[in-house]
Amino acid sequence: MLLLLTRPRYDLPTHYLFYWAGLLIVEAKKRGIKVIDLNKEKAKKDILHSYLSKQPIDIVILNGHGSPEAVTGQDEVILSVESGADLLKDKIMFVRACDAGTILGKKIMEMGAKGFIGYIQPFMFLMDKDYFNKPLEDELARPILECSNQVGLSLIKGGSATEAQKDSLTKYAEAIDKYSFSETTSSFLLPVLLWNMTNQVCYQR
Amino acid sequence: MEEKNEPQNISEDITNLVIARLETIPSNVEISVGGDGSFTISELIERVKKQDDVGKKMIEMQLAYLRALGKLPTQELQDAPVTN
Repeated sequence: MLLLLTRPRYDLPTHYLFYWAGLLIVEAKKRGIKVIDLNKEKAKKDILHSYLSKQPIDIVILNGHGSPEAVTGQDEVILSVESGADLLKDKIMFVRACDAGTILGKKIMEMGAKGFIGYIQPFMFLMDKDYFNKPLEDELARPILECSNQVGLSLIKGGSATEAQKDSLTKYAEAIDKYSFSETTSSFLLPVLLWNMTNQVCYQR
Repeated sequence: MEEKNEPQNISEDITNLVIARLETIPSNVEISVGGDGSFTISELIERVKKQDDVGKKMIEMQLAYLRALGKLPTQELQDAPVTN
């Protein structure tokens, strides 16, 4: 199995996603999966398209900012309805970015992808200012980013897009359960958890 | 294009409700709203007052949560005995 990730890092949200997506790389390598890590300046359109057209990649995970029709890498659009959707043929893709599930995800499926998971609204998460330098220790970011990371973990374990979606939604439900009934004062996490859960979509061929 | 349930005409009662909910969030918290960036709670409250795109998303998110209250996908709710 061959996994490709993009991990741009140029603002606070991508700084967090950079580290949390790093956990997926660790898990993939533990399982003997080869990883192409397009981090920071390597998260560029030409590089991504070159890998997608030349390597037998099975899973593609893009982290970044998105719109209904495109996803960015390191400060530039790296995949859009007009450019690159055909390169995802027979691959499973997870786009952790805003809105890309509305149009881009459907286009990618039309062009022959095996599966797509993404969001049809902005992907939101909370952060604790005291942990900006330690994103993996940020207990406010953890519940949401763990739930979305579950998509990648399930794909790495060989799951289909549908199975990865189911596993992730189960994790969201567990998190909502935890913050609904615990003594914690972090109930303000609940609207954001529910938001991402209900706006995470899956298409499978 | 997916249909979005963005609030169009937002009453003062609704914005005040959302602001009151945001005010319960500790000041050390920031929220990442995708490509729009990350915002402190006081910045979000200003956005809600202005009802710009970010403010409307906050309102939409809080209303979606309030509408879902009582039917959240929690195990404990599903397992709870029915009593009179």
